[in-house]
Formats: sequence, C-alpha cells, structure tokens
Amino acid sequence: MTGVKVNNVLGSLGLGILAILITVAIFAPQIAPYDPHDTYKWMERPSSEHLLGTNDVGNDILSEVIYGTRVSLFIAFTVSITAIIIGTALGLIAGYSSGVLGFLIMRIVDIFLTIPRMVLIIVLAAFLTQSIWNLIVIFIIFGWMMTARIVRSEVLTLRSQYYVDSAKMLGGSDRYIIWRHILPNVVPLVVVQFIMEASHVIIAEAGISFLGLGDPVARSWGTIFNYAFEYPNIILSDAWMWWMLPPGLCIAATVLGLTFVGYALEERLNPKLKTVVGMEA
Amino acid sequence: MILKISKLKTHFSTPDGLVRAVDTIDLSIRERETVGLIGETGCGKTVLGLTITRLLQSSTTVKGTIIYKETNLLKISETEMRRIRGDEIAMILQNPTTSLNPVMRVGEQIAEVIRLHQGLNKKDAAEKAIKMLGSVRIPSPSQRANEYPHEFSGGMKQRVMIAMGLACNPSLIIADEPTKGLDVTIKSQIIKLLKEVTKEKAMLLITHDLSVARALCDRIALMYAGELVECAPAGEIFDAPRHPYTRGFLGSLPRNGLVPIPGMSPSLINLPQGCRFHPRCANAKAICKRKHPGMTEIEDGHFVRCFDA
Amino acid sequence: MHYINKLAYYLVIILIILSINFFLPRAMPGDPLAYVLGENPDMPIRMTEEEREMKLAEYGLDKPLPEQYVDYMIKLSKGDLGHSIYYKNPVMDEILIRLKWTLLLTGTATVIYMPLGIFLGAESAWARGKKKDTLSLITILTVSSFPSFVLGTLFVIFFAFKLGLFPLGCANTIGATYANPLEEALDILHHLILPVATLIIAHIGGTYLLMRNSMLSVIGADYILSARAKGLSERYILNRHAIRNALLPIVTMAALTIGFMTVGTIFVEKVFAYPGIGLLLYDSVLRRDYPLIQGIFLFISIFVVLANFIADMAYVWLDPRVSDE
Repeated sequence: MTGVKVNNVLGSLGLGILAILITVAIFAPQIAPYDPHDTYKWMERPSSEHLLGTNDVGNDILSEVIYGTRVSLFIAFTVSITAIIIGTALGLIAGYSSGVLGFLIMRIVDIFLTIPRMVLIIVLAAFLTQSIWNLIVIFIIFGWMMTARIVRSEVLTLRSQYYVDSAKMLGGSDRYIIWRHILPNVVPLVVVQFIMEASHVIIAEAGISFLGLGDPVARSWGTIFNYAFEYPNIILSDAWMWWMLPPGLCIAATVLGLTFVGYALEERLNPKLKTVVGMEA
Repeated sequence: MILKISKLKTHFSTPDGLVRAVDTIDLSIRERETVGLIGETGCGKTVLGLTITRLLQSSTTVKGTIIYKETNLLKISETEMRRIRGDEIAMILQNPTTSLNPVMRVGEQIAEVIRLHQGLNKKDAAEKAIKMLGSVRIPSPSQRANEYPHEFSGGMKQRVMIAMGLACNPSLIIADEPTKGLDVTIKSQIIKLLKEVTKEKAMLLITHDLSVARALCDRIALMYAGELVECAPAGEIFDAPRHPYTRGFLGSLPRNGLVPIPGMSPSLINLPQGCRFHPRCANAKAICKRKHPGMTEIEDGHFVRCFDA
Repeated sequence: MHYINKLAYYLVIILIILSINFFLPRAMPGDPLAYVLGENPDMPIRMTEEEREMKLAEYGLDKPLPEQYVDYMIKLSKGDLGHSIYYKNPVMDEILIRLKWTLLLTGTATVIYMPLGIFLGAESAWARGKKKDTLSLITILTVSSFPSFVLGTLFVIFFAFKLGLFPLGCANTIGATYANPLEEALDILHHLILPVATLIIAHIGGTYLLMRNSMLSVIGADYILSARAKGLSERYILNRHAIRNALLPIVTMAALTIGFMTVGTIFVEKVFAYPGIGLLLYDSVLRRDYPLIQGIFLFISIFVVLANFIADMAYVWLDPRVSDE
C-alpha cells in the first residue's frame, strides 16, 4: 500500500518539476529579463540588475539559462518524439510481419544497441558543423532501437493472445487490428519509453555540449556549463556559484523530473511487480 | 487427529477490495488419512494450503486456529514455524516447472532441506538426496542428481517435487495439484507413486481432478467460493452426493457426460448474498437468496451446507 | 552452435564498426583530404592542383573506393591507425600511452560500483516497500540525475579546492620525484579517488535499478515460495536461490554499463584533466585531429563489443538452460 503512495508522490513531484521547466521554455522571451545575446559589463557578480550576474562576454546569465531551457528541452522532446514514432512503426512492422523484413529490422536493432552510441555520436558531432539540427538528427538515428524492440515483443505477446486471432477470424483487416487492438496496448509502454529517451537525450546533449560540440549560437545548459568550465580559474572565484551551478542544477532537475514520472508510470503499468504472492492464478 | 483447522479465515486487502479467499473453514485430518480438497480454480484451495504452512505475505489477515498435533500454528514464532516447514509439514507446490530453481542442480535442491532439518553434512545429504530420487523411481538417480530441472520431463519434475517433500520424512504432506498438466499415463504413475509413499502419512490433497481424488482420498471436502460446502468419506461423495455443487461437479466428469455447471464461480471480492451457490443452483429457493446456510451433519461424518439436504 | 553463432554475430558487428570508421571522413560533407590534413573541412584548402594530387596520392585517396577499403583493412590488420596530425605520431602509440590511465580509472570504478550496485539493488528489493527500500531508491534516483561532469566539478570545488583533501586534477603530481614505489602508488591513489568516486556515483544507479527490478520479479517466482516451504531462512534464500537468478539479466546488461562507463570516462577525464583516452579524445576533438578521433572511436567501440561478447559467454555459463540448446 505504501508503495502506491510513494509512487504517487514521486510521480506528482516529477510532473511538477517538468511543468515548471516547460512553462519556462515556452515563455522564455516573457520571463527572461534580457536578450541572452545582449552584452553588458562582463563578469559581474549577482545584483538586482543581473540576478545571476554576467558571463565572460557580458551576457546576462539568468536570461541565458532561461533561453537554455528552451534549447535543451526542444532538442530532448523533438528527438524523443521522432525517435519514438520511428521505433513504434518499425516495432509494429517487425512484430506483425514475421518475415525477412521483421528479422532484418531486429538485427539492425541488435547491431545498433551493441555499438557504443555515445562515442559514435561524439565522433559524428566532431565531423559535422556545430548546430542543434545536426545534433537532433544524430540523436534520432541512435534513439529508436529500444522502442522498436519493446513494441515488437509486446506485439508478439498480443498476437499470441486470442482476441487478435478472433478479430482476424471475424474478418478485420490488418490495419484495423493494429489500430484497434494492438496500438492501445502498446501506447503505455511507448509513453514510458518516450520519457526514458528524453532523459537520455538531456544527459547526452549536455555531455556533447560539455565537450564543446554544442551549438554556439543556440546555447543549451550543457554549452553554458562548458563555457563556464573553460573560463580560467573559475573555481577559484565564486563565479561558479551563479555561472556553473544554475545550468548544472537545471540539467539534474530535468532528468530527475523525467525519472520520477517514468518510474511512477512504470510501476503502475507493470502488474508483475504487484502480484500478491500465493494468489491462485 | 494430526491437524485440526477451526473457523479459519484468510483475507487479503487489494486495491479492488477485500478478497475473502478462505472464509470460516473447519477441517481436520487424522493420522495416515488422505483428505481431498476439491474445487474449481479460484475457489481458494491453494490459499488454504499456503495458510496452513504460513507462506502468505505478512499483510494477509488470518483468523481462527490451526492445531498441528498440540501446537497452534498461528500462534508460534516465524523461527518455530520454519522448523516445522519442510520437516514436519511438507508442501508440494503446484507447477514443478516453475517451482524448481532453474539454476540449481536437482540433487542440491533436495539436499539443502536435508542439511537444514536433519543436520547432515554436505556429503551425507547429497547421498540421501540421491536415495530420495531413487525412491520416487527416477532412473539412474546419482547421475540425475547432478542435472538441472530443464533436463527433466514434466512427470520427472513432479517426482522431484515429491522427493523434495518427502526428504525429511514429514508427518503431514500438503500436495497442491500434483497431477496438473500431466498426460493420462504419467498421471496414473504419479497417483500410484503418491499412494505408495504416503501410506504411512497424513496428506491434504488439493486438486480439481476428481479421478485423482477418487484414487487417493479417504475423505473429500468440496470447496466453493472460499468455504466448504460438503465434506464426507470419499465413497459417500461419489455414491451419494448431497450438495447441488457436488452433484454438478460430478456431472461435469467426462464419463458422466460432461455437463458443466451453469454460470461462473463468483469473485471472492463480491460474494452473493445468502447461499453463495444459489445463482448457479437449479433448485434454489427463496430462502437460499436470503439466508446463508450453515454446515450440518446429516449422517455420521457427512457434512453438507444446503437447506435442501 | 551457440558459440559459433555468437562469434559470427560479433565479427559482423566489428566489421560494421570498421566500415563506419572507413566511411566517416569520406561520407561527411567537406573535403576528405581536409580530414587527413586537419584543415577546416568547410574551407577550400589553398594549394595548387599538383600539390593536391600529390597529397591525395600520399594518403591513397586518389584510388577507387573499393581499393581504398582494402588498403584500409590491410593497414588495420597491422595495427596501423594512421598518424595523428597534432602529435605527428602513429595514432596507436598515442592511444597506448594513455590507455593505462583509463584502464586504472574505469577498472577501479567498475570493480567497486558493480558489486555495490548489485548488493544495494538486491537488499532494496528484498525489503520492498519498507522504509529502507524507499529511501535508497529515492536517494539513488536523485544522485543519478546529475551528469558525471556536473558531479565531478562539484567534487573538485568542494573536496579539492575548498577542503583541500585531494588534488585538483591530473593522474599524479607533475614533476614529482618519488623516494620509493609505495610513495608513487600513494600519490596516484590520491589523484584517483575523486574521479573514481564521480564515476561510481554517476553510474551506480543503472546497476542498482536493474538489480532491484530483476530481484523483484525473482521474489514473486514459484521457486522462492518453494524454498520457503522447505523452511529455509530468508537470508539463505536470498543468497542461494534469489541472487543467482536475479543476476542473469545483470550479466547481459553488464557489457552495456561498461559501455556507458567507458563513455562516462571521457567527461570525468576532462573535468579532472586525467590523462587517459577520454581526455585524448576531447583534446583531439578540440584540435580536429581526425585520424586520432577515428582511432579512439575504433578502439573504444571494439573494446565495448568485446565486453559484450564476454558477457554473452558468461551468461551461457551462468544459465544452464542456454548451454544445452
């Protein structure tokens, strides 16, 4: 019983964090006190004018972080939505057509999952021009496999269950069966997968940007953190407190929010974790 | 009297409501007697078995008394209960395929219980495990003891489960569906084996298979929706069943023409008012809908829960 | 049969990685020659047509693609990964110089975080729903949401700079002379603690959660009930029956987490200026030293694939059901 309560608390906490961050991202121009590209006196300490001070070229750090929310969340959500759609489609195909095509898709998934994707992403990012669009494309290419695998195995389970068969016997077309019977069962799993992927991308994008491969114009949290980190002797002054800590905490908060929501959803969806021992099946 | 269960209730609370899996059951087993507990899937018979051995989650509410020899099993500590489990009372769980640890050698799964309760050393316990495998007619037992469960057939796994239960020479055996999923030939072999090895022991046989009960039991209790509805010597149950449910159950046997009982057994969360069987009963009367019938002894040792009996 | 299948599968993957590495500079936008020479590939290279042809011939880029591919494979088989533009040395040599530090870092971290994560996950699942489980779950989820580089930076600020307990970075004291090997070992250890702690804390969550989930499904299994029916103690059941079954999915994921760890090292090495392969990769990215970037990619990828292969083999050994197929 307490498990359910803890779940609900974590889930609501996660949703709360995400709601705040998404609002900040959407209304960044209204919330941010300045344009993040405007320059003022550089390396200012926090003051009533610049709540988080200014950076080495004189941008207002608070505004930079607020606009950074936009960049980071935009990348994360664009990538995960697209990757999830691709993964679901390929998973449905692989699970529903058990021929060569399905086999081929699953082999590709296996191979993609064995190659360490982060290293390849870093290398690709090093070869390409630094822009958020290039990052988005790279992340999508490496982001769909887990969804495809999960959707496929769910489709296989559902297919072996009687109601898909009986729908077929009653003359339902394949498309009807996928829409009416399979997709509704797959959606909850896909939602969890979406959340997992989003939090992967947040961390991965931050990492790539920390290596200096982020978009220098549309600065994400990772990029801001990296600029601060690269500033000579930053930790010897107090500047790390308002320049490094805010973007760092934002990354952690986003991941935490996504993790909590994902965890609560998964617990609710996975009945295996809730069986009462000894109940007659 | 080796086991005396009185007014036993086992209730689980779930998000959907209170599950009354075992609801006020009285049942006793004498020395060397085999009692069959029969009912449809979901009537609570496995839960009764697990309640006796106290293997249910600690969140379960259990009320009443279970007297084993002189001890009330519901009053002793978990440590004392562990000493009884596997040693004095052995439970042979259903589904040997999932009840055997897939990554542990079969011999070791038997030997560990011997080491625990009889204090034998590793070597002696392993030897005794091999002897046990032989006693349940597993060919070349010393070689088979070193194999893993997946290398055994369904019938052989069931034999392993029986050997495991008998390993410490218990006085009471609770066997849960020991013939489920076996084909006819293997089933009759297992019945023969059980008959042989439990000759000197008391056994509670949980099953939904009447042919198994007929072959093995001295007395039979029928369970419906968490309570007993009829309890009598085996012969009387088969020759002169008194409860409509028992008659229906017998009628659904293949040789009696496979006439199923109409309707479905109720969920243990929403039990019907009055007699729990009345929605499915062909001779239900007005009183059956209002009043819950008690267990009455209509003949010596023959109990029925029905206004009509 | 099982082994041969797996071996063939991994050989195919290695072939794919080698091919990706071959096509990377050739398929990317820009001049492939620029990637070898370290120029900005978006800018036209200023040289005469003759010079250009000479350079192309020098790197074998004038030949048809299949021939280039064969040449590349022959070179690889000799351990030739090309020359670093910045260091002017063979890429292989540069990687081997740095390798020991990365191995020390990831090795130490793995030896600690894997058993620790497994232990905590198992304990947590066994106490499911109790305070102990909830508390460790929330703590680990929270700590794991910090990227390793943020965590590492905070560690440097607090434990190295503010408290002065540890050095700010590097693998040993630069220019130090040691009286004896023990002194050197202690110095290296002193430099190792913070980066290793960062790696462990940043990566323990995955193993912990996996073990906890795996253990939860094992707890509900019939054979655990069966073990209880024998009168065995909870501790004995946990150690002898539950853990081995719960470890099975961990083994397959172990390789994956080693992959994550290897990548995590890149960030941690940057934060601590720790002179391993990760820092080399970062420096090469900054300097656009493409041959070195590719060499490191190849090296890490093959390492991770090998780890996967070993994990697969370990699985066969742990699960008697697979070896019989």
